[in-house]
Amino acid sequence: MTADAPAPKVRTEPASPVGEAQAPVVITHEDVDRAHDRARVQGARSRRGAFSRIRLLWLLLGPGILVMLGENDGPSMLSYAATGAKFGIGFFLPFIVLTFAMAVVVQEMTVRLGAATHRGHAELIFERFGPFWGWFSMIDLGIGNFLTLVTEFIAIRAGLGFFGVPSGVAVLGALLLLYSALLTHRYWTWERITLAIAAFNLIFVPVALLAHPDWHAIARALGTWTPLPGGLTKDTVLILLADIGATVTPWMLFFQQSATVDKGLTTRDIRFGRLDTLLGATLATVAALAVVAAAAPLFTHHMSAENFEAAQFAQALQPIVGHIGASLFALGMVEAGLVACVTISTSSAYAFGEVAGSPHSLNLRMWEGKAFYSVLFLCAALAAGIVMIPTLPLVYVVLLVNVIAVLAMPPALVFLYLLVNDRELMGPLVSPGWANLLATLVVLLLTGAGILFGVSVIAPSVFAALGGK
Amino acid sequence: MSAAMNPPHNAPTAIAAAERALVLSSLEGDQLVEAKKSPVPRRQLKGVELLVLWSLRLYLLFMMAVVLYQVRSGTR
Repeated sequence: MTADAPAPKVRTEPASPVGEAQAPVVITHEDVDRAHDRARVQGARSRRGAFSRIRLLWLLLGPGILVMLGENDGPSMLSYAATGAKFGIGFFLPFIVLTFAMAVVVQEMTVRLGAATHRGHAELIFERFGPFWGWFSMIDLGIGNFLTLVTEFIAIRAGLGFFGVPSGVAVLGALLLLYSALLTHRYWTWERITLAIAAFNLIFVPVALLAHPDWHAIARALGTWTPLPGGLTKDTVLILLADIGATVTPWMLFFQQSATVDKGLTTRDIRFGRLDTLLGATLATVAALAVVAAAAPLFTHHMSAENFEAAQFAQALQPIVGHIGASLFALGMVEAGLVACVTISTSSAYAFGEVAGSPHSLNLRMWEGKAFYSVLFLCAALAAGIVMIPTLPLVYVVLLVNVIAVLAMPPALVFLYLLVNDRELMGPLVSPGWANLLATLVVLLLTGAGILFGVSVIAPSVFAALGGK
Repeated sequence: MSAAMNPPHNAPTAIAAAERALVLSSLEGDQLVEAKKSPVPRRQLKGVELLVLWSLRLYLLFMMAVVLYQVRSGTR
């Protein structure tokens, strides 16, 4: 497989390059904005030297880092904190590294698919396999995205609650920030603003350092996958599933492919797209492991973290990491929720536009992309509104989100697998055998984890027979 | 971009010649908004593919019932 090889075009119009088209070419402002971004890429590519390569990387990275740090969201960070508090430093550290490796395998396919076809994920499923399967995918995505958005606002509310900010102010402030990032009407500016906020995901690293982690225990855990306190129990399976759902979810497929298309990446950029994804996964893994390490002292001190929200984790950690550490932890939760709010609502809006056939790009002015921005605004506003309902069992919503993500992932992955192996669409960029093998293993692992969860709910006594509690 | 560049979506006449040239030299043909309006040809799913997709659909429905059962028993 060669990254630079062009994919064959199965579409009928226009079959030829822009400049050679026979009929007058219709050009929109969205095209002009994207062309400006591409011209800078071409300029950097035409020059030699290390600086030009770094500049090229700077111009091309974005969707991969955003999707990976976006997935380190509120419920994910709560899952990692619960993991550290419940199991300490042990099995789950290398397990989290494995889940991010799975995410890289899966997300790389979306980069290739987006760069080769210049079409979004929802659009391809609908057009290639028909509306019957398309709607199934959209329903899975819609439910998952909406529930996840609700939990992001829970994280923001709880994180800012640590500083005494009232719920209403916290949620409204988050909505305003989300909307203001869109006022630029430029994909590039939106991406850079969101990347700048996402960089604060690494705020969990100083928190972990303040917790004085046992580096020998971390090295031993990463090398041996032990210990797993309590063995295989119902709780272990729930955390296992939550940690998988914290790393690989359907919205990531839809978002990264659509963002790759909106950014204008082509087959020549696939290598950089892979690097972007790998870099994002590395940063996200570091942040995730830092959260586990930061919360691990709660396990050592036998402090129960059942049903903790973000603010309670920060309060529980305060005696260990001090007020600064606890404040950073709470701020990290706010950041995690904010970035995910932006990326997940954008993923919903992209998917809606692709299916409805309406303009869908962050390069659109408000009046050009009324449907696109309306979906984006409404999804976020509705999720924010639900968080404000005082009697809602929010803990169960948080629990549900990661579990549903894991359960919905195998069907979504099969569509991705079929598309990325479609020679008519991908040409020489179809997945090689080793990538298909890895993708199949990911599907089997996720399905197996789902079945394990089912057994843990329906027949928990099975785990006692296997040596768990 | 200048203020003159604010016409409705898909208004080719309002794009300045320089901008038009930039688009033609920077974007691939199928990257244009107009090109994306042509649908990707439909592909029929084969027997094994349909079997896998239906199996996973049933798996998802069953597992969602398990999740709802867990939530129901948890809230009691």
